Amino acid sequence: MNTPAQYADATIATGAVIIELEHVDKFFDSFQALKDINLKVGRQEVVVVIGPSGSGKSTMIRCINRLEVHDAGRIVVDGIELTEDLRNIQEVRRETGMVFQSFNLFPHLSVIDNITLAPRLVRRVPKREADELAMQMLKRVKIPEQARKYPGQLSGGQQQRVAIARALAMKPKVMLFDEITSALDPEMIKEVLDVMEELAASGMTMIVVTHEMGFARAVANRVVFMADGEIVEVGTPEHFFTSPEETRTKQFLAQIL
Amino acid sequence: MTTLADRSPLPTRSRPAAVIWVRRNLLRTKLDVFLTVAFGAVGLLVLFHIFRFVFITARWEIVRVNLKLLLVGRWPVEHLGRIALVMITLGWWGGTIGGLIRAGQLRRGTADFDLRGWAKATDLGRRFGLLTATCLLILALSTTSGPWLLAAGTLTAALIGRWGGSKIRSMPLAPALFRLGGVVLLATPFILFLYLVSAVAFARWEGFLFNLTAAAAGIILCFPLGVLLALGRRSTLPLLRSLSIGYIEFVRGSPLYVLLLLANVSLEFFVPSALAPSKPVRAVITFTLFTAAYLAEIVRGGLQSVPRGQEEAAKALGLSPYRQMTRIVLPQALRNVIPAQIGQFISLFKDTTLAGLALGTFDLLSGGQAITQQDSFRGQGLIVESLVFVGFLFWVGSFTMSRESQRLERKLGVGTR
Repeated sequence: MNTPAQYADATIATGAVIIELEHVDKFFDSFQALKDINLKVGRQEVVVVIGPSGSGKSTMIRCINRLEVHDAGRIVVDGIELTEDLRNIQEVRRETGMVFQSFNLFPHLSVIDNITLAPRLVRRVPKREADELAMQMLKRVKIPEQARKYPGQLSGGQQQRVAIARALAMKPKVMLFDEITSALDPEMIKEVLDVMEELAASGMTMIVVTHEMGFARAVANRVVFMADGEIVEVGTPEHFFTSPEETRTKQFLAQIL
Repeated sequence: MTTLADRSPLPTRSRPAAVIWVRRNLLRTKLDVFLTVAFGAVGLLVLFHIFRFVFITARWEIVRVNLKLLLVGRWPVEHLGRIALVMITLGWWGGTIGGLIRAGQLRRGTADFDLRGWAKATDLGRRFGLLTATCLLILALSTTSGPWLLAAGTLTAALIGRWGGSKIRSMPLAPALFRLGGVVLLATPFILFLYLVSAVAFARWEGFLFNLTAAAAGIILCFPLGVLLALGRRSTLPLLRSLSIGYIEFVRGSPLYVLLLLANVSLEFFVPSALAPSKPVRAVITFTLFTAAYLAEIVRGGLQSVPRGQEEAAKALGLSPYRQMTRIVLPQALRNVIPAQIGQFISLFKDTTLAGLALGTFDLLSGGQAITQQDSFRGQGLIVESLVFVGFLFWVGSFTMSRESQRLERKLGVGTR
């Protein structure tokens, strides 16, 4: 196990490294969204990223599956470096599941078709097998009875759980969560967080951008605090919520807690 | 104490609802009374004149005598049997597809209504009543029993197809057979086309048959081209993008009539006349190229209406760029612009009449004008009867397309978003 000092270093992961960001910069025109980001994530680790809006949290995890293209530095996922090479990008995306704030389910496909689409097209799983897999995933997120419905017929919490099931059906090695409870009504947040807790307990490697401090405290192995495109402070939840060191961290925590 | 009923603003609450409705909506103020009376009088006068023309003064024998000429032009009589066979097969084909769609909706639980008895009959009447009435009208004008038999045969084939189509899925057939069936179903219109063309070259297709087939061919051919142009216009490759934009803007900036005239005269400059396509073929090519430009803009609107998150989700799942487009973005984009697409197709259907003017082909409209010059009808002012008939056929076709598009839109909207 790592020592507390090592937890505070973003470049030291617990266990074998699966995601590696080195000196990553990202610009939107002249605005610098990411400034020299260094982060290593180990297998089975749950890293929660917090910080004020506009701090680059989402941009950072969107760089990891190349929904955004970084301008400088290196990003390596499971030994594959993200470059212009489309095959590398596709391979990283296959191994990386992502869940979005606005669900982004495919409205023209039923729930089960949403889930089986990628396994069938990308992994070439036969239909029968893909359907079974989808039902397993739906059971895991506790809504197997909704399989034949369309996304528009489900509540927000149910839709977000389908989105999680859809990502899981690709059997990814890493899951990225981009503020997935921010668009939900308060009474639906818990059902989604429960699913994520179960997922963390099962040993999934997760990077979670969230404003749910309770979740960060209970589930995170490490908490990363970002502000103005930089990683300001990294540490265990305990360290983070009891004795943060940086002024910006203290200010942020004072505002939200 | 006053109750709610006592304070009712309507002193006429014991009167029937119809009387209340008339008072409220037609006779509320003096101005309303005046407008109602004035427009009512004008409306009645117009109706009276239409009624008198259609049932009393009009001399429909010009249409009756020339019915075959208007519908299929100078199609050789010995090959009329082929048209009959094609119509019966099309009836079966349409019925089968309808049955398949219905069975699919029932299986997925997206059949939004399950009508029975009287409700079902009125729904069918609303959808196909006008079409049926028009067919009956044409049948009534015909002088032989052939068309009646043909109509009965087509209807029977459609019903058989409808029944069979809804049962196919539950039959214990091998998947390969299903796929073969799908291919046959897709190929049917083309096979039928070849069957007709093998007897009478497309250059000699005339009358309403030309309008219908030119519109159908234009719709089928312009669709892929329009979608490709829309994608080209959004492409990141500068050459492809500027070519698409140039094409779209050029075509949209030119009147269709001018393009048709150009197609008529300019080809001779480039191609030896022996190799140049016939006039009806040139018309279809022009319609296709013209409508594709408009369709491209409609599809572009559809593409813009799909949220960016859809493409991102598809990317994040590892779908290839081609599949992101064909499986996720395009299906939603095309669905979102169904009304505009159908509108464009209706427009194309009516614009096929321009071919007669520009290229001198013999279509329903130019046929309708030509028959008034026949010896037995010349100089009798029968152009009105002829044009009314021509216009009516186009209206029935356009109106039916419009109604079915609204229905399609409603159906596809079920369970989405």
